[in-house]
Amino acid sequence: MSMTAHPPRWAEALLRSFLKPGDFESVSGDLLEHYRDSIYPARGQLCADFWYATQVFTFVSPGVRFFALLFSAQFLTRTALDWFLPPADFHFRSIVSTVVGIGTLAAAGSWAAWRSGSFAIGAIAGSLTAGIASITSIAGAAILFAFWHDPQTRTAIRCSGGFEEVVTLPLITILPGALLGAFGGAASAALKRLLAVPNSNNHPQA
Amino acid sequence: MADTLGAFEQAVLLSVIRLGEDAYGRAILKEVQTRLGRDVAAGAVHATLERLADKGLVASRLGTGTPMRGGRARRFYRVQAKGVRALNDARATAESLWSGLRWPLKGYL
Repeated sequence: MSMTAHPPRWAEALLRSFLKPGDFESVSGDLLEHYRDSIYPARGQLCADFWYATQVFTFVSPGVRFFALLFSAQFLTRTALDWFLPPADFHFRSIVSTVVGIGTLAAAGSWAAWRSGSFAIGAIAGSLTAGIASITSIAGAAILFAFWHDPQTRTAIRCSGGFEEVVTLPLITILPGALLGAFGGAASAALKRLLAVPNSNNHPQA
Repeated sequence: MADTLGAFEQAVLLSVIRLGEDAYGRAILKEVQTRLGRDVAAGAVHATLERLADKGLVASRLGTGTPMRGGRARRFYRVQAKGVRALNDARATAESLWSGLRWPLKGYL
């Protein structure tokens, strides 16, 4: 048992961003208690910190997961269209997919900020949405390629920017995701203040 | 009609009942892990408690902190009448589904 051991500050900050304001104290207290009482003494600092970080990610809100799946589905739809129904000119598709992607990331930030009342949480939600979507998008594209890699599809992939683009494009949306999330979050937090909507804490009291 | 409960929701609600006055986040998590015999993520239990609270099946109150928790308060949960009704219904449904069958099932494959 160690009363002074402390999990990484960044992980606690991330946990705060995932939770409703009223839940942070009790949830972080539960995790800290388990960290100090059981994990740290048994596994040491490094493993205990890793355990804490993995626990924090189990609190990623269903909303962020929803937006990440939506973003990923959009990316995979565009990828499949480019591979199987290649157009003569990619310009129109690019505009549509960019606008829809921007809208999704801004909506993720806006939603998170509305829930928490902080635009910074909108930025975190935007980057997390893009980050989680990157993993599922790359995995999805790899599965598509595993099933369909005939010469015609390979030519279409080359013409649409190559497989490298499919792998790198989702990853480079993480930073813009943070900016768009912050933008959506700022708009949402401002609207919430304007309407004087209180921050939610849904637990009925015993 | 009472709310229909999933298996995990039943595990969480029954853990809250078993723990009585000591039903707070970490204790509930440990009880659920013990009863299910597997590792369970803290976030899964928290999300379930939040959902049950939204449905009015549990209520909560904040207690005091301890040095081990860095002074942070515990949130204690208590099953409400609606939660008890939902559990009773879940049990009745399971018993109705199983009635007339011997457990463990043998010879049906």
